[in-house]
Amino acid sequence: MESHCIFSSTGAKLAPIIRTENLTKKFGQQFAVDHLNLEVEEGEILGLLGPNGAGKTTAILMLATVIKPTEGTAYVGKYDIRKQPEKVRGLLGIAFQEPKMLWVSTPWDVVNWHAKVCGLSTSERKKRVKQVLDAVEMWDARRKNVHALSGGMRKRVEMAKVLIQRPKIAIVDEPTAQIDIVGKHKIWNMLRELRDEGSTIILATNELYEAEILSQRVAIMHKGKLLVCDTPKKLKDSIVGGDIIDIQFGKTPDAKTVQELRGFDEVVSVLQPKPSDLRVHLNRVEEVVPKIMNFLMKRDVPITSIHMSEPSLDDVFAHYTGLTIEEAQESEE
Amino acid sequence: MVNRLLLVIERDVRLFFQYKFLIILRSIWFVSQIALFGLIASRMINIPDYFRYYVAGLSVMTLYSAAIFIGFDIYEEAEHGVFEYLLSLPVSRRELVLGRSIGGGLRAFIYVGPLIAVSLYVIGTVDPINFLISMIALFLFAFGVSGMSITLAVVIKSSDRFDIFMGVLDALIVRLSTAMYPLAVIQASNPAYGSLASFNPITFAADLFRWGAAIPLPVLDNPLMPFLGIVVFFSLFTFVGVVIYERRIEGGGWQ
Repeated sequence: MESHCIFSSTGAKLAPIIRTENLTKKFGQQFAVDHLNLEVEEGEILGLLGPNGAGKTTAILMLATVIKPTEGTAYVGKYDIRKQPEKVRGLLGIAFQEPKMLWVSTPWDVVNWHAKVCGLSTSERKKRVKQVLDAVEMWDARRKNVHALSGGMRKRVEMAKVLIQRPKIAIVDEPTAQIDIVGKHKIWNMLRELRDEGSTIILATNELYEAEILSQRVAIMHKGKLLVCDTPKKLKDSIVGGDIIDIQFGKTPDAKTVQELRGFDEVVSVLQPKPSDLRVHLNRVEEVVPKIMNFLMKRDVPITSIHMSEPSLDDVFAHYTGLTIEEAQESEE
Repeated sequence: MVNRLLLVIERDVRLFFQYKFLIILRSIWFVSQIALFGLIASRMINIPDYFRYYVAGLSVMTLYSAAIFIGFDIYEEAEHGVFEYLLSLPVSRRELVLGRSIGGGLRAFIYVGPLIAVSLYVIGTVDPINFLISMIALFLFAFGVSGMSITLAVVIKSSDRFDIFMGVLDALIVRLSTAMYPLAVIQASNPAYGSLASFNPITFAADLFRWGAAIPLPVLDNPLMPFLGIVVFFSLFTFVGVVIYERRIEGGGWQ
């Protein structure tokens, strides 16, 4: 299956800031990334979702011109990653999955040098290094060697590099792996702020919740291929009958009512687990529920409770791969 | 371009001086080589002024050891993934490679500077002009060794093999040079050794340093020859090495 990601969250077609064209990387006979066609809009957070080994990091490294594609190319800004790699690197900032720093370095060294090499003026750098290290709560530990820092602290230093750079395109690879829940929320807020300041963000993650709450659109990768890419809402809606309403009645609904419920366009199936309970599988739950409620009220059927649930990105992932993300992870390993 | 090149150089110089323990131990080693080995060995060797001869050679050997350290840094960086980070920066591959080569040489030179000052204190008087020329030669020599170390590190691609290879190379290149004994003695022991030692960059560097420091042995009729030898060595490993390194990087050969 091949999928393109070409429409904005509002449905309008925009000029993408990143466009990959059959981007492929093979290691030996193994496809790490297999003919990836993906477009990223300016100013959005695009979640790149998939289990470990799905090809997310390899795709990122190709976009960052760290490794060369075996086939295909990508355009970052207006620059071809094969022909103008230096121009491409000028637009990008990356927070790697594993923090990239030597153990003898200190957070201050790492962030300060990164700011210099990314072209911040001396006065701005001095101000921003303090600001950013404060923001990631690393100012007090700024003079410690990296080997004395915890995994979470190193991860925050890695994030600090992107935050100080404020790149046009920020790529963050599993930014909250090994980080506690409080730390996760802080990093999520930082990413939102970075987006609000004008950066386009590619968020590679295998955490479905993270992808869902941060991303305007989510691209799902599995075994090097892009399976699907759209807004979380559209992805969920793409699962036919993925939304569920559980209705409890004060008395058993009659057969005609059940039959008429089945007649709604959005309704896929109606099950009756108990005589007074109905489970309705349908699409676009938020649009249909008022109609169903009206219908039942007109029929004068007493409702004691109603519970709605929509599919999660877990369900979307399972729908497209036939596996849960945990199973996919195990199969990759 | 120059600014980013300088930043790459600055990074390597700063990093080297983070290894404080290594620097202190190396300095202790250097001083003890002079104070113990140099003093004692000079009493049993029948070469006039061997102590000063040895001290000058020791300085060049130490410069060589410090300059090859950049190759080990490359493995360290590969292990910690720092190489990927460096490759993702808005720095051209050429700036990166050239900067590292210069940075590796410069930091070795900065490190050896105080040790050379110790050597000069021991050696005594120098001819200022000759000494300046010999320092320029040592500067280029350090860049060349650094470039050589980077090239070998990228070509060998295994830290264990690199470690062993550099140990063997060190044994051969230092011992088949005039760092510790004059060319005439090497020549007398085996003419083939003498021929190899005559074209060894450590020989060029050691002879020029002694010439600059006004140590009478060897008598250098024409310091231009070893100077040119160092320029060739520097050019080969700085520029050819840069090309090899650049190609390896682009081809993903660092992985």
